[in-house]
This record gives sequence, structure tokens and C-alpha cells, in this order.
Amino acid sequence: MSSRRLLPLLVPLMIVSMILAACSAPAAPAPTAEPAAGTDTSGGDSAAASGDTSWWSEAAAPYAGVTLRGVSESTPASRYVEEVLAPMFTEATGINVEFEVTSWDEMYQKAIQDMEANTGIYDFVYIEQDIIYTYLGRDFLTNLTQLMADNENLASPDFDVNNFTSFIDNFKDPETGDLYGVPMEAFIKINLYRTDLFDDPDIQAAFEAEYGYPLSVATTHEQYRDNAEFFTAYGEENDMDLWGTTVQGHTGHPSATYEFVESIAPTYGVYNWGVNLDTWKACVDNGGEMNSDTAKEALNFWLDMLNYAPPEATSSTWDEVAASFAAGRAAQGWVYGENATWIATDTDRSAVVGNVGVARSPLSDGVLEEAESGEGYIGYYDGGAFGVPHSSRNKEAALLWLEFIGQESVQADWAVAGSRIVMNSTFDDPKVQEADVATNGYYTMLKDDGPLYRGAPPFPFHNTLRESMDPFFWQALAGELTAEEALDQACAAAEAAMVQLGYGE
Amino acid sequence: MTSTSFRKNLGLIATYALWIILTVITLLPIYWLFAISARSRVELFDVGNFIQTTFYAPNYLEPLTDPVFQRYLINSLIVATSNALLVSVLAVLATYALSRWKLAGSNNIFFWLITNRMAPPAAFALPMFLLFTRVFRIGQWTMFDTRIGLILVYCVFNLPFAVWLMKGIMDGIPIELDEAARVDGANRWTVLVRVILPLTAPGLAITFILSWIFAWNEYLFAASLTSVNARTITTGLAGYISVTGTEWGQMAAVAMIATLPALIFLIFIQRYIVMGLTFGAVKE
Amino acid sequence: MDSNRTGWGLLAPTLIILGVMGLLPFLYVLYISFFDWNVFSASGQMEWAGVNNFRRLVFDSAFLGSLGRTLLFTLLAVTSELILGFLLASTLLRDFPGKIVFRTIHALPLVIAPIAVGATWRLLTIPGFGLAPYYLDRWFDIDYNIGRYAEQAFFTTLAMDIWHWTPFVTLTMLAGLTAMPKEPQEQARVDGANRWQVLRFLTIPMMMPVIVTTVFIRMMDALRIVDEVFMLTGGGPGNATRYVGIYIWRVVFPQTDYGYGSAMSLLVLYFTIVLAWLLFVALAQVGNQQSSS
Repeated sequence: MSSRRLLPLLVPLMIVSMILAACSAPAAPAPTAEPAAGTDTSGGDSAAASGDTSWWSEAAAPYAGVTLRGVSESTPASRYVEEVLAPMFTEATGINVEFEVTSWDEMYQKAIQDMEANTGIYDFVYIEQDIIYTYLGRDFLTNLTQLMADNENLASPDFDVNNFTSFIDNFKDPETGDLYGVPMEAFIKINLYRTDLFDDPDIQAAFEAEYGYPLSVATTHEQYRDNAEFFTAYGEENDMDLWGTTVQGHTGHPSATYEFVESIAPTYGVYNWGVNLDTWKACVDNGGEMNSDTAKEALNFWLDMLNYAPPEATSSTWDEVAASFAAGRAAQGWVYGENATWIATDTDRSAVVGNVGVARSPLSDGVLEEAESGEGYIGYYDGGAFGVPHSSRNKEAALLWLEFIGQESVQADWAVAGSRIVMNSTFDDPKVQEADVATNGYYTMLKDDGPLYRGAPPFPFHNTLRESMDPFFWQALAGELTAEEALDQACAAAEAAMVQLGYGE
Repeated sequence: MTSTSFRKNLGLIATYALWIILTVITLLPIYWLFAISARSRVELFDVGNFIQTTFYAPNYLEPLTDPVFQRYLINSLIVATSNALLVSVLAVLATYALSRWKLAGSNNIFFWLITNRMAPPAAFALPMFLLFTRVFRIGQWTMFDTRIGLILVYCVFNLPFAVWLMKGIMDGIPIELDEAARVDGANRWTVLVRVILPLTAPGLAITFILSWIFAWNEYLFAASLTSVNARTITTGLAGYISVTGTEWGQMAAVAMIATLPALIFLIFIQRYIVMGLTFGAVKE
Repeated sequence: MDSNRTGWGLLAPTLIILGVMGLLPFLYVLYISFFDWNVFSASGQMEWAGVNNFRRLVFDSAFLGSLGRTLLFTLLAVTSELILGFLLASTLLRDFPGKIVFRTIHALPLVIAPIAVGATWRLLTIPGFGLAPYYLDRWFDIDYNIGRYAEQAFFTTLAMDIWHWTPFVTLTMLAGLTAMPKEPQEQARVDGANRWQVLRFLTIPMMMPVIVTTVFIRMMDALRIVDEVFMLTGGGPGNATRYVGIYIWRVVFPQTDYGYGSAMSLLVLYFTIVLAWLLFVALAQVGNQQSSS
């Protein structure tokens, strides 16, 4: 009987769903039929900023109506591209841009799958600095220098490789100097500290009374430790949610490994993750440095910092570290520079506006000299570029798009929106200067100290190597392994992974 | 007499106590999700505030007014509904066949159908991607990033479940009913529509609902087989985990929005769930 | 046999869709499991590896550990859900005011997307703005931090799964109990059997098909859990919650070790099928017993 009563309910439901299903029919056969449906192109008021509009429409004439598709990580700089630059480009050229902005994991998965399988889904992909050697090793990318030479009518007068900072060298073939990617974001991982705490006379007095020397931003690891210990105790005494440092220590996410190999180990003088780039060996016994005594000292220091970090440190990726600092929960910490501007200026998202200072990481003796001589480096210069996959079917139109975002005229607003600078001239822009003041000199530091920082080592197997090391860092952070055990096991696993890939046999 | 009524009352009180505790446990995480979704970034770390008195609307307004997000919602709606519909129809046909005909190897076929739900999905994303981009293509058109593609892929885990659910129910309908109708001159099709369908309606409803929910909630294939046009709401959710501080508030808001349609669906239909979920295993 | 042709005709669409969307990818996975195929290998090529991938598996202690944890997780989760679900369903058999409301609320978690469940529980458990660590510390002085303590993380994933899926078990049990004929139980009570005996010798045997089917479904899904746990812990701390689904995800995507990942996937599929087959046989036997008695 009850089934009878159900029918009247079920029938309308099915009708509704059939209608909905029918709606799907027209869109499905022509996936590109709704150009840039997501972006509001009606505004378009900033199109004037895009330089010589007539050149663009002329050069792009053969490609008008083409739809370019790209994939990128969901960063502020990428979102600016999606929301502002893509509609501007479409207006100037008639070329549509479909931009998939997604999570970091997914971005890699999809770009690599596409290029490996040669499917040609994407016409431009985000290339993070650390993956470039991997892509070059597999010939995944289109040679842009070559492409411009082959299509002289497509070489924009507003695009000049020499406008860029030295960061662009990361995206050149080391041997030929040919360009494979147009930088779209770049930043260094720096130390942020709370100026309101470090400048407070009472706090300064209390610190000196306890440690016997004046409080200042740390230049050595010992001093950093003292600062961290002091502010953790200070937070506890005053019943504040304040700890001494951040640690990017998520026990199930690659970001933990990155913080150690990029930002901690180099400050002790252990470079290239401790991997010997000539022999592809990592353990001391085989000529590597990953488990050297210095590396172990560095890991011990970093693990010790967990004692002075807020409890969410072991659940923190790069996201949450910035969030913790912005919430005022840490007195000092290692934070990616792309976060500097919003932490220092955005009152909607940050509780420490106006109280943010920037500094170099604490360093061991001799590291700065090695960095200055070019032998070593003091931290991580990160960022990314857009490149054209070898499998793209719209390489010429994609080239126009990359040149478009590589114009000097679009850089300043973009820089402020994403804390990213890829051209020398951008530093002098009034908007950037303003942001520089707000962050107590982040942009000046990026400009002056930039050469002391460096991108990831040239591994042609970046992700696989890091994945092989991850579990040991996670276990160390969870207290299941000591620093010594973790590094001994990590270097062995790294060597096994490299051999499996055919390196260092 | 009084002692039995006392015991009865005691039982009732115990039942209530149990269900009240249970309700609190069930609702607590959902409440907290809501509370977070109503907070701005600076309020997030204010854990001590259990009662949410403020409401930070931008968390909801930003995604809801974003055309990209709206498209995600519509895609999810279309994909889930079409898939559930397709799965229900196919499951009825398939189980009718399995239950009323003596087909060679039908037990093995049944088991094979079910094994489709068992594989860990990650390793299958690559073959699916290759199929979608290279094999299923007509000229320029590929199945990658289309809703029709997702609708078909979701059959892989929904059809086994639906066939299973419907098989028991189908078997539970006495074959004598078919025969009586056939004696009256009805053909197979009429028997299915007039006799069988009404009797399986509760089971069919639950098949539809659960398929809909599974399809609405799927993430991995939606993430790897779509790019721009056919993205669904669950992939939108993952997009809020970004480098510059996960937008927890917005993410919670999106989770709330994503859950709401399913929730309304559930409330609307929940009394039929119990009728339909028997797998035909207990026969009256 | 024209009639049989109609039967196959009705079955055909299902077989075709599952053949194309299910069997074809399976065959492809089978094929590449015999190759060394890592996007980042020195050669960059697919190379025939014979059964090397499977041989690697047997000695991969990290993977086997992950498999073991997954089995433990599945066992604990499914058992708890079964017991809880049965208990709750039996309290729902009689009418009491508000029953429908309770039942509806109870079913809520069922409709939340796994990825949203993971996000919800992360918000609940993350130190700093989660409820759980805050109040556990305040009221019970417990240092609850699933980013740090392996056991806590394991049991939190368990609690999350129980929270998410017990409603499903409750509903199937309720459906079974409701559909069950009442006379035998009433007769038994009249004959002097106590509650426990009725439950032990009548209700549970009669419910066996429902119970086995429910276990089957829950087991299948618990063994391949990914989304929720990935959102909650990422598989950490260390290896504590890196269940096979996540393990394979890591091998296939960030490590791009397609061949090895395929081999793992097949092994897990094989395990699941064996377990499922055992249950399937048990189900058939229970069915036979019932129809013969």
C-alpha cells in the first residue's frame, strides 16, 4: 500500500531530474561553447593598461576565437591572472582563456598527466620553480625562444626577457639559454617577526634580565632559540595565545620536508637537500650530506622549535603557518614572502597589521659568505612561471598570452595583489613602494637579498625524491624517530628512490 | 501492573537519553562547521566562543555570487540527478533480467558487477583520463571535462550498488504475480511497468537517493576528469585549500552549501529509506 | 530461446557501461602493472618489468604496514558500526514521540560529502580553532593533538568513520527488523524464552542476510577510504593513518610511479574480492539454510 503513496512523490522528482538531465545535453557535446563563462568580462575598464592594443589585435587576428586552457595553483597571483589579466587579454585579442585554478596536488597531477600522455588538454601550465628541471628533463615544454624566432610577427615589442629579474634564469635551459617559461610570481621565504613585541621596552628589559644580552631579531640559531623560548614563556605567563616561533610541521604533508630542506638545512650550510648532484648519492658514506652531523644538528634545532611553536604546528602546511602568524600566535617564524603583504596590511584577515617586520633567517658561521660567493644560499627563492606544454595544439596563441602577461605595464597591480615581483622596474612603482613601507621592507629585501636565495636544486625527479623522504620527517615531527634516525633512513630511502629511477646506479 | 509500567517508562527514558546524546554527538561537528563558516579570518582562533552570535556573510556571499561557483553547483545538480536516474533505470532492467530469466552464469555476472565498486580509485584515474582524452573522442570533441563523462563514470560505483539493492527486492516479488498478469495477456514490458515497478517503488526510491548522494559527493574522478566546464562542487571545495592560508571560513561555508541540497533531499524522503533498504533479504 | 535474448537485452546496457567504464580501465591497470613506468625515470619510457612490481610489493614494509593498518581500521570501524547500528535500530522499532526527528538527524552525516566530512572533522580537531582540543584540555587536561600523536589520529579517523557511516547501518538494520515477521518472536516469548534467547536464536539468525550484506558494503567502502582521512590528517602523523587508498594515491600521483601503483591497486582489489567472495558464499549459505528450514 505504501508504495502507492510513494509514486506521486517519485513521478515529479523524476520529471524534474529529466529536465535537468536534458539541460546537460547541449553543453556536453561542446565543452568549449561557453567562452570564459566564469569570468565577468563586462568590467574591462583596465584594458587601457595593456599597452599597444592595436598590435595585439593585429597579431592575434589569425587566432581570434581560439580557446586557450591552462591550469595553475590557487595562489593570489594566479587568481589575479584569472580574474583580471585573462579578460583583458580576451578583449585585446579575441582569444579566450579558460583558466583552471586548483589545489597544488591536483595542479601537478593534471599537468603531468596531460604532458606525459600527450593529450593536449592544456595550452599553458604553471611551472613551479622546483619542477622545471623535471619537465625539461622530459622535454615537456615548448622552447619559447625558438617559437618567437619562428614567428617573428608574434614577437611583441612590449615583451623583453631583459626586463625580468634574475629569477627568469630558472626557466632557461642551462646550456642554450633558451626560455621555457615566463615568470609570473616570485618571492623568498623569509623570517617574519612581531615588531610590537620586539620593540616593547618592558619585554626587552625582561629578556635581558633573563638571558644577559639585549633582545633583537635573531642572527644565529642559538639566539633564535632563546627568543622562541622567551616568548613562549612570556605568552604562558601573561595568559596569551602566543608562542615563540612557527614550524611548518604538518605530519602528513610534503610542506614539512620542504621547510627543512629549503629553509633550515641551508642556514647550517647543508645545500641541495644534502644530495650530491654529481653522483646522485645522499648518505655520508656514499659522498652525500643528507645525514651529516651538520644536517642532524639542523634537524635537531628544527624539531626543538616544535616545543616553542603553537600546538597547530604539527598540522600546519604553508597555509596554516601564515594563518597562525597572522592571528598573532607566533612572535617570529619562517613564512613564504607571498604572504607578507596581506599579513602586514589586510585587517580583514590579519590581527597583526602594522606590527610585522621582515628579516633574514638565523645563520651559522660562514653561510653568509658562501651565499655571497655563490657557493651556497641562505634560503628559498620560490615562484613560478607559465610555460607551454609540448602537447599544446595552440602554441602560437599561447605564446601571445604569455607575452601579454610578461608586459611591464601589467606588473605593478599584479605585484601588489600577489606579493610577487618578477621585473626590476616593478620595484620602483609607487604602489609597490607603498607596500614595501607597510611590510617594513619586504620588497627591498626581495630586491637586495634576492641573489642570496636560491630555488630548488636541479633534480630531474623532484617529486619522487621528496616523496621518498617525507615519511621520515613526518615521523620525526611526531616524535617517533630521532633526528639522527630520521636522516639516516631518509638518505637511504632517497638513494633507493634515485636508483629505482635510474640515477646513481 | 505498576512495576511493568514503571519499567516501560524507564525504558522510554533510557531511549530518550540515548537519542538525545546521540543527537548532540551528530550535530556537534555540523554545528561547529556552521560556526566556523560564520566567522571572519580574524575570529577563527576564538575557540572559547562556543555560541556563534555574529555572522560574517562574505563567506557565503562570495562563492554564491561567483558565476564559477554557481556553475559548479549546477554541474553537480545535473550530474548527480542524471546519474541517479540512469542508474535506477538500468538497475531495474538488469535486475529484472537477472531475477526472471535463467541466464547462463548470472551469479558470476552479479558478482562481477559488484566487484566494480571494490577497486581503490586512485590507480584508475590515469586509465580513465586516457580513455576520456584519447579513446572517447569524436573529432575535436572528447569526453574529458564533460558532464556526460562524469555521469557515465559514476555508474562504475553506483550501478553495482543499485543492482545489488534492487536484486534482493526483485527476487522478493513472487513470480506468481508475473504469471498471473501474463495469463491476463500482458507482455513482459507491461508486467514490468504495471506489476513490478509499483512493488519495487520504495526500493527504487532508495536506489535513486543513494546513487544521487554518492554522485553528488564524489571527488577524485570529478577532480581528475574535468577541468573547467564540468567541475563539480566537491572540487570547488578542495580549491579553498590554498597556499596563502586556507580560507577555512569560506571553505566551511562552501561545505555547508554543498551539503544543503542533499540534506533537504534527505528530510523530504527519509521515511521511504527504511522501506527500501532491506536488500530483499528478509522475506515476509 | 527468444525469451533469453530479451533477458540479455535488458542486461546489455548495464554490461556495456560497466564493461567500458569498469573492465576496460581494469585491463589497462593490469597491463601497466607489468611495466616500469615512472614519468621521472632517467629513461622516461615504459619498460617491461615482468612481475617485478609485484615482487617489490612483497618486500615493501611501508606498504604492507599500510595494508595492515587499513585492515585493522576496517575491522574496528565495521564492527563498531554494526553493533551500534543494530542497537540503535532496535530502539527505533517501537513508536515514541519525536522518533522521526531523531532518526532524521541521525541520518544527516550520511549525506555529507566525504571530503566535507574530512573538512568538518579537521575544523573540529585542529589545535587553535578546533573544539575538541580546546575543551579536552580545559575540562579533562588531555593534550589532544592529532597532528602529533599517532594513536589519537588513528582513533579520530575511526570515530569519524563511525560518525559518518553508523546511520547507514542503522537504516539497513531498521529496514530488516521492520520487514521481519513478528509472529515467531511473539510465539517464543509466550513459550517462555527470555529477551536474550529471542535475540540470540531468532532475531540474529533471521537478520543474518541483512547483516552480511551490510558488512559487505561497509567493508568494501572502508577498505578504500581516501577523501575523509586525506582532508583530516593527510595520512599522518608519520604513517599512522596512511591507509592503502592514500598510499596508492601518493604512489600514483606525486610519485608518478604508475606501474607500481597499479600493482598495489590490483593487490588491494584482489584482497577485497577474496574477502567479499567469502562473505558472498556465507550469504548464499545463510540463504539456503533459511529456505530449507
